[in-house]
Amino acid sequence: MDAPAACHHCGEALPQSPARADIDGASRAFCCEGCAAAARWIRDAHLDDYYRLRSAPAGRVDADAPSLAVWDREDLLAGHARTVDGGREITVLTDGMRCAACAWLVDRALAREPGVLESSANAVTGRIRIAWDPARTPLSKPLARLAALGYRPYLATGEARERARRAERNRALLRIGLAGLGAMQAMMFAEALYLDTAGEMPLPTRDFFRWITFLVSTPVVFWAGWPFLAGAWNELRGRRPGMDTLVAGSSLLAWAASTWETLRGGVHVWYDAAVMFVFLLLVARQLEQRARGIASAQVDALARARPAFATRELADGSRESVPIDALAIGDVVRVAVGEPVPADGVLLEAEAHFEESLLTGESAPVPRHAGDPVYAGTACREHAARLRITQVGAGTRLAELARLVERAQAHRPALAIGAERIATWFVACLAIAAIAVYAWWRVHEPARAFEVLLALLVVSCPCALSLAVPAALAAAHGALARIGVLSVRPEALERLARATDVVFDKTGTLGDGKPRLERIEACHGIAEADALRIAAALERDSSHPLAAAFADVTDAPTADGVRAVAGRGVEGFVAGRRWRIGTAAFATGGEDDGAVWLCARDDCHAVGIGAAGADRGRGPARARFVFAERERADAAGAVRQLRAQGLALHLSSGDADAPVRRFASAMGIEAAHARQSPEGKLALVRGLQRDGKVVAMVGDGLNDAPVLAGADVSLAIGDGAALAQRAADLVLSGSSLGAVPAAMVIARRTRRIVRQNLAWAFGYNLLALPLAAAGLVTPWLAALGMALSSLAVTANSLRLAKPAPRERMPR
Amino acid sequence: MNILLFLIPLSLLLIGIAAWIFVWAVRHGQFEDLDTPALDVLRDEPPDPPTPVEATDRDDAG
Repeated sequence: MDAPAACHHCGEALPQSPARADIDGASRAFCCEGCAAAARWIRDAHLDDYYRLRSAPAGRVDADAPSLAVWDREDLLAGHARTVDGGREITVLTDGMRCAACAWLVDRALAREPGVLESSANAVTGRIRIAWDPARTPLSKPLARLAALGYRPYLATGEARERARRAERNRALLRIGLAGLGAMQAMMFAEALYLDTAGEMPLPTRDFFRWITFLVSTPVVFWAGWPFLAGAWNELRGRRPGMDTLVAGSSLLAWAASTWETLRGGVHVWYDAAVMFVFLLLVARQLEQRARGIASAQVDALARARPAFATRELADGSRESVPIDALAIGDVVRVAVGEPVPADGVLLEAEAHFEESLLTGESAPVPRHAGDPVYAGTACREHAARLRITQVGAGTRLAELARLVERAQAHRPALAIGAERIATWFVACLAIAAIAVYAWWRVHEPARAFEVLLALLVVSCPCALSLAVPAALAAAHGALARIGVLSVRPEALERLARATDVVFDKTGTLGDGKPRLERIEACHGIAEADALRIAAALERDSSHPLAAAFADVTDAPTADGVRAVAGRGVEGFVAGRRWRIGTAAFATGGEDDGAVWLCARDDCHAVGIGAAGADRGRGPARARFVFAERERADAAGAVRQLRAQGLALHLSSGDADAPVRRFASAMGIEAAHARQSPEGKLALVRGLQRDGKVVAMVGDGLNDAPVLAGADVSLAIGDGAALAQRAADLVLSGSSLGAVPAAMVIARRTRRIVRQNLAWAFGYNLLALPLAAAGLVTPWLAALGMALSSLAVTANSLRLAKPAPRERMPR
Repeated sequence: MNILLFLIPLSLLLIGIAAWIFVWAVRHGQFEDLDTPALDVLRDEPPDPPTPVEATDRDDAG
């Protein structure tokens, strides 16, 4: 499983001098002490089967896990833990569980912690339930164990909602299970009735069977089918008969007609049809909801709510930990390295670095100086900072963006949902036809009037029609999940199939947010290749984002005495000479020009250099590295496929003009918009929508969240900002853009299959209705027609679950 | 055909028991996690699971 050059635990590339530990009788290399410690603990706990069972590498373990002391605070536990026998129970989210073996490991590891009564981990939803005895252990102890294994705990949405979620799921399972049992039993009894083809069964026996079937199917129709009945009632009260009305109408009709026939000793009963229909629909609905439930559970897990506490500095310089709600404007707070800023404020330190990826999607830390504004939700990097709070709660930039998301979602152009319209129309037509036919027969042949009406209603029972959409959606969601696209909102597929324009964000979407070395300008007696090798040697163990750009240099020499200067650069010895790499100010003493400079320090007092834009400072600049954002590997291919699918493409970025134009031409996108604020992006999409376009937006950052919410359909990149994913309809779970055209293909196939299903269901009804009205349809023929049309629709939908024969070819 | 009068109530009784077992299983969280238990059978339990000695590996990590 592990290449020799990768960490045994997390599979990441090894640093120059890896940590080592003896696992399985052999010495293994690890990328960091955190991973090595985790592996050592797993070995000592005899849990090393984990490495054999897992199907995905573990997450990297941070050696310096954050303090978990806040988890022991009573004001936190009060809202999130509940009392159980012998202790308390809490549900936490974690982002490190990647396969079932992780859940297995978490269960075993927690079971070994003293004071933990019970635990259950679920890799699919990323949730861990822990019951512990507060008298024997504080909660932070088992959580520290989790963090040390690489599973950092985050707060779930609250105990009440977690419990409601579980109860909801259990109720749905119960309904399906009981509907299944009831349906099977009703079918068995119905079979006895069907097999009596010659009508030889004595009447009392027949009626006995019918009453038994009635007994079994009634709870299925009313209890298991309750969601449909309640939905239909709501639709009727709102005077908008829709899909639920159709479903409830069908099942109630088959059930009521059968009951009536049982009472008056008629020719045929349709209990089996009623229960099968309820069962199949419940399954289709549950499959679709489960796919979406998993998607939203993962998005939820990504939202990473933390225990929200801030460190406030008091007038006498002492510190106290307070809930974020308790912060007031004018307070001074301290933000530790890696912690998020609790509220908007101004910086009091001379200089600090903040990662604003939550707001902008850019992962490189941004330097801020004293007096600069700092926004809530950004993370402090490199060294701790002090801020004076200027805005709290709803006044922060973060809250403002969240509000923009909500507003944009509420103002989405309404695409009337096709099936709902059809349902309304169908119910009305059927009612009119039924009344007309009954009236006609009543006048001409009163004796047969009721029988014909019953046959008409049963044969035109819109089972196939109401199965057409859910069955196709259930199959399509399965297909989407296989290509790594999670569908969060129900109408996403239909909207995606209608899209005419696709708007891309640049940073983190078409590009992967990582820097790529664009060019090297070497001067003063050093070859470009040598400069690159020295730079790679110095940057090798640096955690700075730019270091990744040097990672593919394989023949780097060894650097000694490497010292990182936060926010400025790295200094170290390579082949006996002292080198500095970093900002121009740090390396050469010149002025910052955005590029990275490499300079030998032993001859620093030699002549200045004449490179354009450089200084005439203390040392000769040896080389200048210019970086540009790297494109995602498959971005160009995805863009090409989308264009082949007939979509108009746009690029909209907050970045400067030049890089945006460069990206657009590299990708072959004509319409490029640079320097766009979140509001500006939204305006661009609104403009397109006014021209009658249906816009799909692909983005990743929180600055994209409003436009993701405002576009007709939106796709968020899986490794982007959590809030962007909450605003999106579809989340790409991998980082591959190739899933976008693939999802488009599935959406269009789904639309085609839904249309085929609807056409089939309609065709069947158009054919059957006149025959039934003419009194030519016998009750058993009606039952057969109803079953066959439903089966045909289901079988057609299942084609979606298989990969398309021409997956690449649009249409 | 009088046997039906016995067999059919019997089948109803059986389905009642099946339904009760299913309800019990759902209520007791038997369907909560469908992935992890599959791995349990692949592994022999060690004779006695000792708790690792070290308490904080934050120390070796530092």
